[in-house]
Amino acid sequence: MKLLAVDTSSITASCALLEDKKLLGEFFSNVKLTHSQTIMPMVESLLKQTRVSLEEIDAFAVTGGPGSFTGLRIGLAAVKGMAWALERPCITVSTLEALAYNLYGIDCVVAPVLDARCSQVYTALFRWEGERITRLEEDDAISLQNLKNRLKNVEKPVFLVGDGAEMCYNNLCQEIPHLRLPSPALIWLRSSALGAAALSYAADGITVSPAQLAPCYLRLPQAQRELLAKKNKGVKEK
Amino acid sequence: MIEYISHSTKETEAFAASLAPRLHAGDILACRGGMGMGKTAFARGLAQGLGLRDQVSSPTFALIQEYTDGNIPLYHFDMYRISGLEELYSTGFFDYLDGDGILYIEWSENIQDALPWDHLTLNIQRIDEDSRYITLEGGGRF
Repeated sequence: MKLLAVDTSSITASCALLEDKKLLGEFFSNVKLTHSQTIMPMVESLLKQTRVSLEEIDAFAVTGGPGSFTGLRIGLAAVKGMAWALERPCITVSTLEALAYNLYGIDCVVAPVLDARCSQVYTALFRWEGERITRLEEDDAISLQNLKNRLKNVEKPVFLVGDGAEMCYNNLCQEIPHLRLPSPALIWLRSSALGAAALSYAADGITVSPAQLAPCYLRLPQAQRELLAKKNKGVKEK
Repeated sequence: MIEYISHSTKETEAFAASLAPRLHAGDILACRGGMGMGKTAFARGLAQGLGLRDQVSSPTFALIQEYTDGNIPLYHFDMYRISGLEELYSTGFFDYLDGDGILYIEWSENIQDALPWDHLTLNIQRIDEDSRYITLEGGGRF
């Protein structure tokens, strides 16, 4: 089965072409360019360089969230367009689970973290034992403080991955000495890892139709903060 | 801190245009000042000073206007109707941070807690019908 995986959910963008467990090619960029302008040329270039036509793709994988508001819509819309035209099944994978697949096969605990801004992160927690992944925490938006409390009690070491990994590491490594940052090859979301996660879903028959593709946003823990400084606001409606 | 007293919309525009060369991609100008203070005039001056050829208008309804016809893009936000983090997220605001352009944010007081710590604060206060007291500070540069 040929699978095309696409990710634009966070600061990086990538696409990968897999044939079963073989990675045929991957395109990754981390230069803050607008994903809507780069992802389709990346896909086109990947297919051209691997000599595979779009019609040969059997299924599409895409990160479904959490992540950047516009980023998620770009990836999902791109995949929806291609899969709809070709009438192919799709697999959405949690952005955080896809990140955890960067450490596939390495016995460890992995905490994917995406920077949700305002000292908050999108995070979850997984454990790898051989080729088996166990989810320890659901996808959630929590404060850095809560992340600290969560990771303090975890068996060591804990690998941080994702676009918030370095920020979290710098903030928490003093108090949590068992935190680890993996190499640059493993720290960012890679569509090859997304593809690996998607293949395990596909093997279990968990696919959706292109029409069913939709972003999965997570609510930010807003309760503790009130953004509105009402006292500064005019009484009159504009 | 930079201080300036403007006596007209034209002067506010010219002052903004004169500041433009001192701004860099990634700068965030958080604007404070009530209605009719000349916030949009300031944006027009900024765009002109940055050499942008786009038409500048208030983003009251669109929430965001992008001016990209030049070297450094200017992203013009109006946060008047934003009342929470969830709403702010769904404007795509966070996707513009650390980006390739300058952010100019009207009604920034509504998103005060979500502003990065190194933002610049632009204050426009009314002196009389036509005159405004304008200050710019922050970022270690002003």
